[in-house]
Amino acid sequence: MDRSEIQKRVTSVVASVLGIDPAEVLPASNFVFDLGADSLKSVELVAGFEEAFDIDMDADKAREVQTVEGAVDFIAQYVK
Amino acid sequence: MADSAGPGRSPLEPIFSPQSVAVVGTTRVPGTVPFDIFHNILKDDFQGTIYPVSPSARSIAGVKAYKYILDIPDPVDLAVIVFPSSVVKLAMEQCGQKGVKGVIIISAGFREVGPAGLQREQEIKDIARKYGISFIGPNCLGVINTAPNVHLNASFARRMPTEGSIGFLSQSGALCTAVLDYAHAKNIGFSKFVSFGNKADISDIDLMLSLKDDPATKVILMYLEEMTHGAAFVDAARKVIHEAGKPVLVLKSGRTSQGASAAASHTGSLAASDEIVDAALRQAGVIRCQTIEEMFNNAIALAYQPLPRGRRVAIITNAGGPGVLTTDAAIHEHLELAAFSDRTHDIFKRSLPVTANIRNPVDVIGDARADRYRVAMGSALEDENVDGALVILTPQSMTDIDTIAAEVCNVAAAYEKPTYCSFMGETDVASGIAILQRRNIPHYILPESMCRAFARAHDFRTEKDRQLTPAAQFADVDTAAARGLLDAAIAAGRTYLTPSDAMRVLEAYRLPVLGSAVARSAEQAARVAAEIGFPVAMKVESDDVVHKFDVGAVMLGVDTPTAVAAAYATILANVNTHQPDARVHGVFVQRMAGAGDEVILGVKRDPAFGAVVMFGLGGLFVEIFRDVAFRIAPIPLEHIRGMMHEVKAFPILTGARGRPHRDTDAVEECLQRLSQLVVDCPQIQELDINPLIVRSRGDGCAVTDARILVAAP
Repeated sequence: MDRSEIQKRVTSVVASVLGIDPAEVLPASNFVFDLGADSLKSVELVAGFEEAFDIDMDADKAREVQTVEGAVDFIAQYVK
Repeated sequence: MADSAGPGRSPLEPIFSPQSVAVVGTTRVPGTVPFDIFHNILKDDFQGTIYPVSPSARSIAGVKAYKYILDIPDPVDLAVIVFPSSVVKLAMEQCGQKGVKGVIIISAGFREVGPAGLQREQEIKDIARKYGISFIGPNCLGVINTAPNVHLNASFARRMPTEGSIGFLSQSGALCTAVLDYAHAKNIGFSKFVSFGNKADISDIDLMLSLKDDPATKVILMYLEEMTHGAAFVDAARKVIHEAGKPVLVLKSGRTSQGASAAASHTGSLAASDEIVDAALRQAGVIRCQTIEEMFNNAIALAYQPLPRGRRVAIITNAGGPGVLTTDAAIHEHLELAAFSDRTHDIFKRSLPVTANIRNPVDVIGDARADRYRVAMGSALEDENVDGALVILTPQSMTDIDTIAAEVCNVAAAYEKPTYCSFMGETDVASGIAILQRRNIPHYILPESMCRAFARAHDFRTEKDRQLTPAAQFADVDTAAARGLLDAAIAAGRTYLTPSDAMRVLEAYRLPVLGSAVARSAEQAARVAAEIGFPVAMKVESDDVVHKFDVGAVMLGVDTPTAVAAAYATILANVNTHQPDARVHGVFVQRMAGAGDEVILGVKRDPAFGAVVMFGLGGLFVEIFRDVAFRIAPIPLEHIRGMMHEVKAFPILTGARGRPHRDTDAVEECLQRLSQLVVDCPQIQELDINPLIVRSRGDGCAVTDARILVAAP
């Protein structure tokens, strides 16, 4: 899967879980500071990514990811 | 703390008295810290403008929300950051760009969670420095200012306290909520209420000094868990007490003696960290309290009533037993029962029943109504022999409690002398107590607490009025010589000075060191003894032999040249037997001090407070009873006297039970010189003069043994 496809799916999951317009989801957006994700939403985001990409992520490391761009990089490690 | 608040503005002004507040990172979820902070500011009637900042909400509690603080069209004085710790730096950066000068960081997850948190704390400090922001926290409950023109409850406490004259500063946020609840039940109000958390920027000392200049604050209460900058704290507290005349009350937790076990000298092991804190606070004039209850018992006395001019109290009671209890408690606190004037006695005789006790404690009898309390209180407070009234009430069937309470308040208000009350009981007296509390008459459930509070209020008045004198500076000392000896020892890699060098250091500061020399042969020992005079004491000169008595390396009262030569050989033989590997430099020969009592003087250098000086009586008193007192150097003479009198066994030196009165003036001078020495010579880490022999009055004292532990400063 190429990076642009990962980016597209991440944006879709983020917009869906946080209930926001996909246009607001920018690569540099911070999940908490810019997009308003609280701790519960952060758990839902991790679950959403795992389902969208059919992967199992390291939950502790996943929670350290702060930005959309960071999520794309992190997921890329798992996607063949 | 940033000083860019502008000319004449305190860096704390945007925090205590903002015109506009943004709550950064708030949410729409009631019952969470981010929401409750915003809601508290809103519901508690903040007099300025409030802006919620939330990345995901268009409005919070009906107030238009902004995605970023930078989106707010108007200036913002104060930002309260409630975001998770991972993004606080982003919020802080935007606060800086917005021109915010005051920030409260509520969020936890900084220094208190370990190295990663410490790193985050450093990042926000760097941002604050870059933009000239002053901030409270992180990891705190928030800030409350009850002033009617501000009325800011920027905290997640359950309630806003009423306006009052007590300022409360706390290192623990959780304790703040408990204190607010406690104070609410007792109708105690506050001027400022601050939870300062990790004090990464604004410290407890900054806050204390800001309340010094706050006209709304009369009394400052502080809960502390550590005192990292102890010496600075003491300086600041002195300013508050002596320049502003405001009492500082400290509840300090974290009593520990962990440090003591690691210390090498007598003084080191005796000076546990909490005792040093105790000594430092006492020296500063701070009232240290052991419990929250004690702190507030003292605070209401100090905040609500005039300070007592003396210790003479009039006890007025409607019951004999409680009157006696109060008398006992008063005497225990070194108060005095006032001796009434003849005029007061005449009024009592005319106005009170014949069965009444018209001497102190005045018993107005169980059936007393308000008129008897009025006469007794008024006459007593009128009497020039009385410094304050302690009023007791027990609820009999005919006791009109509320009326008496109101009358007590009326009479108290007419005099510039303090009145404290103890309406004993709980249910029946509750309404009367409420009347007293509403009208700022300090009330105590127990007479003991009442008497203790009176004593502390009097202590504070004495402290406040005391002229501060600097520590003595003797001109006849040879600082260069002392430093030279200490530096040489450090350069040689030594931890302890040799006994003879230790004596030379003390001699450089004109401490009364006995004539002495180190002999390296039996013949030389006999010659030295003849020069300095018989009898002499002899002990091995060796760093390795620490407990010299135990190995037979000390001989006392040696009184002829032949005996000196023999003792020399015996000492070396004993050392050879018990510690054959010890490095021996000879035998130290010293003139005997003569008859006297032994005291110990010592020094320990504390990382927070600097050089701490100890005084105690020698021998058992030190070893078993730990009967010692401490002060922080430099020590003015009045505190030297204070520490000497603090030692319970001190009367042994002042002629107790027919003993000779020792030369305590000479001991005072030794402590003054020692204080100067350790201030001048930071190389000294620990020092023991043990013993100092104190001879009879006029005959001085003599240093017979000293140990000095050194390290590069």
